[in-house]
Amino acid sequence: MDVKALRVAMAGDRHIQPIAAPDAGAANIRLALRALRDSGLEAGARGASLEVQPQSDRPPRLERATPFEGSRIGVRAVPGAPVVGFRAFLDGIQRSQVIAYAGGIPLVHGAVAAAIRERTDRRLHTWGTPQIAQALFAPHALLDATLLASLGARLTVVDTLASTGASARDFDAPSAAAHHPQELVARALTAVQRARESAELALVAEWVARGEGPLLVDGGTSGSAGAATSAHIVGVIKSHRTLYADEAALPLVLGLREGERTTAMTVSSPRRHPVMSWYLRLREPSSRSPLFGLVRVETARADDVTERADLVSRWLLAERTPVALPDQRWDVMVYGIRECEQYLTAILR
Amino acid sequence: MNQVSTAIIGRVVATERRPNTPHQFHFWTALDAPVGIGTIVRVETTRPVSGVLPRIFGVVTEGFGYTDLQTPLHDVLGADGEPGASALAPTERTEIRLYTAAVLRQVPEEPLQPVPMGTVHLATEADVQVALRMDTYATGETHRGIPVGLYRAGGTEAAIHLDADFLLGPEAAHLSISGVSGLATKTSAVEWLLASIFAHLPASKGKVAAVCFNVKGPDLCFLDQPASALSDEDRAIYQRLGVPATPFANVRYFAPWSAKGGQLATLRSNDALQHNVQPLTWGLKETLQYAEVLLNRDDIDAKADALIDFIKERVVDQTFSDPMLERSHLVRSFSDLEQWFRELLRGLEGRNADVWRTHHVATIRKVRNRLSNISTRCKGLVTDDGSVSDLPFKQFEDRAVYVVDVANLEEDAQDLVFARVVSQLREHLEKRQLGVDQIVVFVDELNKYAPADGPDTYVRKMLLDIAERGRYLGLVLFGAQQFRSQVHRRVVGNSGTSLYGRMDPDELATAGYQTLAPATKARLATLEKGQLMVRHPHFGQPIFVRFPRPAVLSGREGVERFPQAEELTLEQSVAKALRRLDPAITVGWVQDQLALAGEDDDGVLRARNRTLQARPDDVKAFFKAQLKKRATPEVAARRGPAPLRVPPPDDVYG
Repeated sequence: MDVKALRVAMAGDRHIQPIAAPDAGAANIRLALRALRDSGLEAGARGASLEVQPQSDRPPRLERATPFEGSRIGVRAVPGAPVVGFRAFLDGIQRSQVIAYAGGIPLVHGAVAAAIRERTDRRLHTWGTPQIAQALFAPHALLDATLLASLGARLTVVDTLASTGASARDFDAPSAAAHHPQELVARALTAVQRARESAELALVAEWVARGEGPLLVDGGTSGSAGAATSAHIVGVIKSHRTLYADEAALPLVLGLREGERTTAMTVSSPRRHPVMSWYLRLREPSSRSPLFGLVRVETARADDVTERADLVSRWLLAERTPVALPDQRWDVMVYGIRECEQYLTAILR
Repeated sequence: MNQVSTAIIGRVVATERRPNTPHQFHFWTALDAPVGIGTIVRVETTRPVSGVLPRIFGVVTEGFGYTDLQTPLHDVLGADGEPGASALAPTERTEIRLYTAAVLRQVPEEPLQPVPMGTVHLATEADVQVALRMDTYATGETHRGIPVGLYRAGGTEAAIHLDADFLLGPEAAHLSISGVSGLATKTSAVEWLLASIFAHLPASKGKVAAVCFNVKGPDLCFLDQPASALSDEDRAIYQRLGVPATPFANVRYFAPWSAKGGQLATLRSNDALQHNVQPLTWGLKETLQYAEVLLNRDDIDAKADALIDFIKERVVDQTFSDPMLERSHLVRSFSDLEQWFRELLRGLEGRNADVWRTHHVATIRKVRNRLSNISTRCKGLVTDDGSVSDLPFKQFEDRAVYVVDVANLEEDAQDLVFARVVSQLREHLEKRQLGVDQIVVFVDELNKYAPADGPDTYVRKMLLDIAERGRYLGLVLFGAQQFRSQVHRRVVGNSGTSLYGRMDPDELATAGYQTLAPATKARLATLEKGQLMVRHPHFGQPIFVRFPRPAVLSGREGVERFPQAEELTLEQSVAKALRRLDPAITVGWVQDQLALAGEDDDGVLRARNRTLQARPDDVKAFFKAQLKKRATPEVAARRGPAPLRVPPPDDVYG
């Protein structure tokens, strides 16, 4: 299951509270394994992290978007030199792993973290308090009650079958198909993703409330009303399984040269808050993939749409250095986001 | 004393690839942390061991800095190949300062475990005391600390003391100082340390004095003169370490005469400084005892050695008679010895004999040649007439410095001076008759006297003996050299304390420095004047210290302020020398006496030397008497001609 697609699917301001603060007995994997063994289960790491396992994704697709700057999608060279504008960067990470099976039911340990790294004197420092949460993810209804009680006494056990208000496909009440271990694992992964998004949104809300200056968020901003309407929040989408362009506009998007952007459009859906969005080419693809260096920008709709889109584009172009290498997504990732990710990797023990 | 430091400046880290050990640990700091190579730090942990919270002290030996870049190429790509572009990037890359520290001490010392994770703090002065174990000897009533310098890092300033028991004996002893030439670090450090010893050696350790060999230039020629200008910082260090910023109060200089004999061969020849300068001259007896120093292996085979021993034991300083000689001889000088040889060889020739007392005539000629040559090779030091002016063995004074200026002597003569003086010191110390309980002998260019390679000379054997056994006698060697690797390893190995000034990188590449981290070596190669790296038995690791400029006039400034005396005529030099004993003596009076006596130059110098040696009450009368006394060998009663040689009955060649 595509993590980003799931995030897009999440509508409304459904913040999942952090499962546990890092200093409040968070259920790190060692404690979780001990709790499982104390409950009579044979526990241990079962295979690779769920995040790196192949997921059944929806196929890539084109989706029509409504022009917001002009009457149709066009191409525009970003005027003016790149200029430093972002004050801070937000990213979140997650880790999940099957650590036990209870009668064929996978028990997944999940850990999520999100943080804002604020830039002062060209150096990044953590702003506010990072969000860290770790828990066991399992379908409550399918577990033995005694076992569930035993586990619940020792650590937080998130119900992966609980209704979330997401798509029916993903969040319907348990069906026969949902008893399939792979489906249960997928639901657990979805729950972990949701926890991460919740952590990220909590920080976005905090920044909107008391942050100063523009915040660059890794991913879209339409998942929360606060983010979708704040002029201080800019989201950057690096993957393009869904391209917001019809057949006529697609060549324009793919043919963008370095420093060019499309005109802005409105991206909206029933579960998302409307934002204005445009494609921006950060780096010249030359003979590489047409998606090389291509990002989609989301920010709150503005009246001075052209000036706003140009300015945000100049901010993003300024973030091309330092290069985010050795990250494989270096062509579309700004260094502040990579640094934030490294920070999270370090603190999520 | 500094306040206890509580600020956390770093955290201990360990990975599988870079683990901590009981002797080494790693920590990271903020980019602007005041930590560098040589900084002493304290590690605090929250996990007790056996109920005690361990404290670990370490000294930084290596530093690393890197960013999240995997390859420099990534930075090149990011900057489009323009170095200036990187500086314009809105964000600086994540950067780390990672340090490696060598453990100085763990408290408690048992169980000795790998350094645990914990917080890192700059060491306070009290920490430095504990870290270097100075709390065991540099405080309290049994204080025996000798300040060697100030440790300074990150705002901490701490006095570093050496343990007198390990510097001057008996626990360990000797000091070795190495460093490149030209920075005056070695000489300055020894001058400073001598002043510190004189100021701080506790009374319970007895009396101490120093003998310094000035082997080149004017380095040690002005130890009793104040420094031209000590900086405020230097004065502060003197005050901090409790050492008076004054020159040595009691210094005596000894120098041989110049080759011409007119004046002493020293750069301390200015008239204003002559009150404590004395000649250093030796006669036959003093020289012959160390003939081995001057004669190489080719000279001294077993046969020659036997003859020299015979002369030393049976001829010198006693009336000697032999059928081969026309008369009895009392050999007290090289002149006497030459007369003795001449008569002996004449006797052998007259009797057509090849052997005398088992010594072949060729051996006799060879020994005559080599021994007679000594007074020429060591002219100014060794006198033909046997007059002696020596160091005041048996009367050495507490806290006095005796400078033996051999800078103008030939290499052989330098060896002779060195060998005899040190041997005499040793002999007198063995008998407890030197006048002091401990003597520091400072020898520069130790790689010349005790080289790692080369022949096993008398001087080297003697130095090895001092290095290995001198500490029991109170005979302490302070050796300086440019290249420690070129000094015999038993000499440097027996040095309890080692000081290092700025080092030559090639020298640092030799095996003796393999235990030092690359960063420590790099710092050693760039040390400023006034900085030293110290190794001492109590210190777990080398420590960097700063010491003040010596409070004495430097050699370079000394020769400018006290220019050398002009070359004098014979009369002027004699008058100048005698004026030390009798200020009423004038050049005119000396001219009159010489004119009346009609002596040659050697005779005049001989009279002068005898007068200086005797130090009579009536200088004029004594000098006049010496002029009249011809410098001829003292002749014993003449004997009749020797009988003809009678060959043994079984001598088929007789």
